[in-house]
Amino acid sequence: MRIRLRQLFGLSRLYRGQPGTGNRRIGSIAVGAKLLGLMVLSFFAFGTRTSAGLLWLTGINLALLFVFRYGFIFLRREIKVFLWQTVIIVSLYILRFGWIEGFKPGAMISWQLSLTYVPGLIFVKTTPQPRIVETFSAVVPYRAAFVMATCLKFIPLILTEIRNIYEGQVFRGAKILRKDLLNPINWPDLVFCLALPVIIRSMNLAGEITLAAKARNFGLKKKRTCWPGI
Amino acid sequence: MTRISLKESLFLGFCAVFILLSRAALRLHLGISGHVMFSTMFFLLIARGCVPRFFAATITGLFAGTAAMALGMGKGGPLLLIKFVLPAMVVDIGAMALPFMFQSYLLCALVAATAASTKFIDTYVMDRLVSMNPDIILQHAFLEAAPAVLFGVAGGLFVPPVIRRLKSYGVI
Repeated sequence: MRIRLRQLFGLSRLYRGQPGTGNRRIGSIAVGAKLLGLMVLSFFAFGTRTSAGLLWLTGINLALLFVFRYGFIFLRREIKVFLWQTVIIVSLYILRFGWIEGFKPGAMISWQLSLTYVPGLIFVKTTPQPRIVETFSAVVPYRAAFVMATCLKFIPLILTEIRNIYEGQVFRGAKILRKDLLNPINWPDLVFCLALPVIIRSMNLAGEITLAAKARNFGLKKKRTCWPGI
Repeated sequence: MTRISLKESLFLGFCAVFILLSRAALRLHLGISGHVMFSTMFFLLIARGCVPRFFAATITGLFAGTAAMALGMGKGGPLLLIKFVLPAMVVDIGAMALPFMFQSYLLCALVAATAASTKFIDTYVMDRLVSMNPDIILQHAFLEAAPAVLFGVAGGLFVPPVIRRLKSYGVI
């Protein structure tokens, strides 16, 4: 039972869903329920006004991280964002109300803001990407779901294309290395040597995918059919 | 007006992907708030410039917002969608009101500045929801929006030459 629950809510990274057994549908519903639950948690963070409430929400978020067996390492970048945000908000509060009256409310607001986006992060980091796409397919029109799923699926290919174009342009002398981009004078190189060829390549890619989809009679039926293994 | 084709939808989807990839690449490396608006405005305007449909930029914004929400990128939780959709709607309205904007640096900069200034609205809404002090909300929203507008204008200024080159290559 415990294993089954873990599979349903995407706790097991190995879980892919077995075609023909109904697991995929149940999996989509479970992921949808998980998304809804975490969104509710995020909305609670908007409504909470007391430090006790925030402590409770922090506890629930930490418990979820523990339940989903994800360490705190993946939150490292988010902690940086939290600290940066806290510095800005607390500084504004201190400037307005002084040290004593400004520090605590500023820190509380920053804490509350962070708790609004931590549930979303937990969802993403603990749910396999195919399950997310499948869940979206259940709620948006099939054409939009196809475009979204295709674009997400082609990210690795696009990244490879970008890397190839980038390396080629660097060899040609374009000033688009990271240290060059710190100087805004080099930004035109980034646009004309990298963004422009990437846009042209993505247009060609869109044309090729459309041709392939039409060759497979995409759009012929009102309801999308899909190979169970995808 | 004919229905948006699959190729156009896919291109808009790729523009949304570029927005997300650039956000991921730029995140925190400069340490300046609002710098992601450079790529956001650039790709939203390119999407509208390459696909001359009423809601081309809004569709790109919707894709980007939904994917960002699903991938947990950026601050805002469930309100992340409006961060993308609001500027995209401004771009669409701007392109509808000023059909020749993609040939003019000034008009592109103007529309980009207006679209980027919507960061003020989403920061305001977000801070209001968590009951921040009203005076601080305005200051915080201004601090967030001012650099976003500057970077948005910079991104918008690159659009007319890119559109011109795409036209000369015969791609659009």
